[in-house]
Amino acid sequence: MTDTTIDTAPPEAPLPSPVRWVRDNLFSSVSNTVQTVAFTAVLLGLLRWVLGLVFADESNWVSVATNMRLLFTYNYPAEQFVRIWFAAGVLFVAVGASFAAWNINPSITLRRIGVSLMGTGGITLVVALITPSATPSGLRTAMWVLGVALVVIAAVVLRVIPEPHRRRVPFLGLLIGVSAIVCAIMWFVPFGDYGFSEGEPTAADGIVASSTRVPWTVLFIIMIATYVAGRGLAQVVSLAPLRRAMIAWWVIGPAFIVFMVLRDPEFDWAHIWSTDLPMAAGFALGGGALIYLLAAPGRSDLARVLGAIVAAAAVFNWVAAFFGWYPMLQKARFSFALAAIAILLVPNFAGERSARLRVAAVWAGFMVVFHWLLTGINTASTLDITAPPFLGGFVLTVSIAYYVMLASFPLGVLLSLARTSKLPIFRVLSTTYIEVVRGVPLITVLFFFSIMLPLFLPSGMGISDLAAVFAGYTVFSAAYMAENIRGGLQSVRRGQYEAADALGLTTVQRTSLIVLPQALRVSIPNLVGQAIATFKETSLIAIVGGFDLLRIANSTIPNQPDFLGQKRPALLFISLVYFVVAYTMSRASRNLENRLQAGQAR
Amino acid sequence: MTLTTTDPNSARARHARPPLWRNTAVLKWFVQIIVLLAVLAAFWFFAAQARNNLSAKGIPVSYDWLDDPANIQLGEGIQTVDDPDGRRLTMSRALWVGMVNTLRIASIGIIAATAIGVVVGIARLSNNWLARKVSSIYVETLRNIPVLVQIILWLAILGSLGKLTVDSGPIPGWVIVSQKGISIPRVFFADGFYQFLSMLAVFAVPIWWVRRRMRRTQEEQGGTQRIGSVTFALSLVAVVIAWFANPVMAFLGPVFDGISDAWAVIPQGLMQAVLSIVAVLAAVTWIRRFLDSRRTPAGLAKLIDDDWFRMIFAGIAALLAVFVVVRGWPGLSSWIINSGSDLFGVIGDKFGDGRGSRPLDAMKPTLSEGRFVNYGPTGLTMTVFYASLFFGLVFYTSSFIAEIVRGGIQAVPAGQSEAAAALGLNRRQALRKVVLPQAFRVIMPPLGNQYLNITKNTSLGIAVGFSEIVQVGQTVYNKNSQTLAVFSIYMIFFLACSLTISFVVNTINRRLAIVER
Repeated sequence: MTDTTIDTAPPEAPLPSPVRWVRDNLFSSVSNTVQTVAFTAVLLGLLRWVLGLVFADESNWVSVATNMRLLFTYNYPAEQFVRIWFAAGVLFVAVGASFAAWNINPSITLRRIGVSLMGTGGITLVVALITPSATPSGLRTAMWVLGVALVVIAAVVLRVIPEPHRRRVPFLGLLIGVSAIVCAIMWFVPFGDYGFSEGEPTAADGIVASSTRVPWTVLFIIMIATYVAGRGLAQVVSLAPLRRAMIAWWVIGPAFIVFMVLRDPEFDWAHIWSTDLPMAAGFALGGGALIYLLAAPGRSDLARVLGAIVAAAAVFNWVAAFFGWYPMLQKARFSFALAAIAILLVPNFAGERSARLRVAAVWAGFMVVFHWLLTGINTASTLDITAPPFLGGFVLTVSIAYYVMLASFPLGVLLSLARTSKLPIFRVLSTTYIEVVRGVPLITVLFFFSIMLPLFLPSGMGISDLAAVFAGYTVFSAAYMAENIRGGLQSVRRGQYEAADALGLTTVQRTSLIVLPQALRVSIPNLVGQAIATFKETSLIAIVGGFDLLRIANSTIPNQPDFLGQKRPALLFISLVYFVVAYTMSRASRNLENRLQAGQAR
Repeated sequence: MTLTTTDPNSARARHARPPLWRNTAVLKWFVQIIVLLAVLAAFWFFAAQARNNLSAKGIPVSYDWLDDPANIQLGEGIQTVDDPDGRRLTMSRALWVGMVNTLRIASIGIIAATAIGVVVGIARLSNNWLARKVSSIYVETLRNIPVLVQIILWLAILGSLGKLTVDSGPIPGWVIVSQKGISIPRVFFADGFYQFLSMLAVFAVPIWWVRRRMRRTQEEQGGTQRIGSVTFALSLVAVVIAWFANPVMAFLGPVFDGISDAWAVIPQGLMQAVLSIVAVLAAVTWIRRFLDSRRTPAGLAKLIDDDWFRMIFAGIAALLAVFVVVRGWPGLSSWIINSGSDLFGVIGDKFGDGRGSRPLDAMKPTLSEGRFVNYGPTGLTMTVFYASLFFGLVFYTSSFIAEIVRGGIQAVPAGQSEAAAALGLNRRQALRKVVLPQAFRVIMPPLGNQYLNITKNTSLGIAVGFSEIVQVGQTVYNKNSQTLAVFSIYMIFFLACSLTISFVVNTINRRLAIVER
């Protein structure tokens, strides 16, 4: 496997002279000139209107600066903030390592940088020129200085350095440059002295930027160091195991961060030693041994019979629990059901010793993580929080989006397979589900789950509001996911199926080894699009009762005594936050698409 | 016989049939039935739990409450309070008002979003750098901010406008922009409208004739006749003349009245006979056309049973219609007579008395007690809730539509426009006759999806208090706790909307599809 970057962009031609450029692009014909005039008017009008919203007299931006912590982490206790920084650190390390593992190193020519600097500088100057009178004069001066400085730097880059369109800035340089700019802004821009003390907004000390600039700087340095280390490691070992490790991390890691680090469960160690640990070990080792033995070639009939017996036992467990015949931990019931499915699937993994060992090891690892997470989730939290959900603000928005995508992925795969299958009952069930869910608005699904789910559950079994909303999101997202994956499934040629059959693969093997990898590869761009949509749709939590970014901006901040009725600044700010995240994702998806297409083309 | 002489057939049969637990035919159905049973069991379980839990709370599911008086405050809509003439605002009527509000904002939103989206999408392909940049900034900004955030931001922006007075707004008295909403003059059909319309109909005939002649000349002699411009100019002249001269057509009023009177004296038997003859003639025509379509150069093709059945069915249907008209439902004929007479009478009343009157007129927004008048003869008013939902939805969706339009136009291969140019078409003709028809095929399906999204996203009105169906439904179930019943109404309503839109889009798609062999 080669890991060279695929660069499909053609070499860039030198820039024409500014006069020539303006004539070609803005005044080439009468209609072109008319368009230039019309769109200049539109652009200036819009810009002036937006600036009027931002710098109006009644917009009190102190409300945003003061509530920065509320907007991002809601009421997470301040003395436990080290947990948030730790979580952020783990994420930054993972991002750096993933960049290294997938060899993401887009380089940009100096000319591109120069052109974008020129554009930014020009826009800054225009903005400085037309700012409304309510703008603080210091800010306006700063804009003038910044605009002139950017234009001068851009002119130097474009005109003084020879052949800027041939010189490329490597990815590491870009990473360091962007990080340096972000850190420099934190260190040197006077954001103002606003902060929290004891839950009350104060205008005295502890400004948000100054209390967080050290951790942020450290985080960026860690990320760059991880990237460099990862690139170094990639020179020595092959990238495949690194990638596998990163995928496993991205599946398990966020759950670890939320439920182990942020939630800080107060483990009952006596119970863990006496019950949880033995149970996990029993399922992991016992199940692993059974899978290892049954995966030997020629034992498939035995595996099926045993699997059927375990499945019957698992079903009986649930029935018994329903009628209250004998108590059994829910964890054990889930594990039995999972074991039954695993044993029924074992014949598909039959093979030599190393392959069997690997399957058994995957099962054992899965069981350990599963039991450990369930134990953590079911243990009370030590956090001292006044309002129950410990997730809020930006953290809640991001976590919900991430877990919804993660949880709806397997559901979506199953639904799409059922919808494209030849088995009529599966097809009808899945089509009905998908079409009904896609036919109704998300908000009604969320209302349904947050109101009706508690009614559907047996008495004595509660579910938190956030979990109910999460279930609603997952059910909704799975239907759209299924349609996206179905598009990929339909692009797999018939010959692939026939070839798999000719090799004597079973249906499960054919689906999981031949069809799905190709189908998923095709549907990646659509899935990223869906991830962006899911991220934006998390704002609906605000309607059903969670404290996400929107709810805080729209109702918490305007109700603070100091900032009564101050909705507009906070709403504009969260629009910016949503925009930055969603736009970054869509740009990344476009690059990914080009990369995949280039890979296909070769 | 020895042991070796086993029957070869049975050996093959034994070889071909795997054991039961490996027989795919058996397994397939076994697994499907197990899954079906599991789904049904889960449904039964949840339904039983819900029934127990609901009846434990004393709120069994029913639909009897639909006729109860609502006693809820609806923000806006058609007839949101008890009528003076005794019609009460019941729960079902409140839900109906919500549905109408949803459809109102969805349909107008679809039109507005399409208009903006098409313009921006085309501007993204302009040869002007600034047009491309501005439209791409528009698209990227709007589609990356959640629509709910945009709606609430619009509410915050509109809510901080000035107080509502008659003079608030860019044109005092005519256009009102205030923190309570936006109101513009309502244009309505005035007295002269039907005279105007009938005059236009009269002018349409010569215009159509000129057009046909010019087209024939173009086809015969080649070259380009200015068909479009001439038609436009003539139509303009016709509109101007009709606008001022419309009282001339007032004589049509008595004519229609006369028709109405004449229609009323038609005896019932005559109408029955006419209807019967029409039914029989229709059946005969259909059968003749059908036989024609089965005719081949070698004579009539052999008719299969199905064909005979169709013809016999057409005949029976005609006889049935005759029976219904004459014996089954004699009232039908008199109903047609009465309503026809009424219809012409109403049309006759629409014509004035020959005095000068405008075809269209405008009504200024009116205020009463410092508020907009909700309903009735006043300007066209958007409350601030309607406006914020409308602007949020329209601008957000238009950014997606712009991308769809751009993608559709770019999907037409460049060779097509080059071929059009080679045939001698100019740029506009190439766009209209070659590029756009092909782009439409690509554009239509995702566009339909966006229309569906607008309709579903109107439910976000709940965040700003616009009384659409979901918000009204929530008010209703907060009052009587009939959540399950209200959710079923939501579901049926939105599924009906989705099915309608996808039906329309699919129909258009089938029309646009390339006809293949």
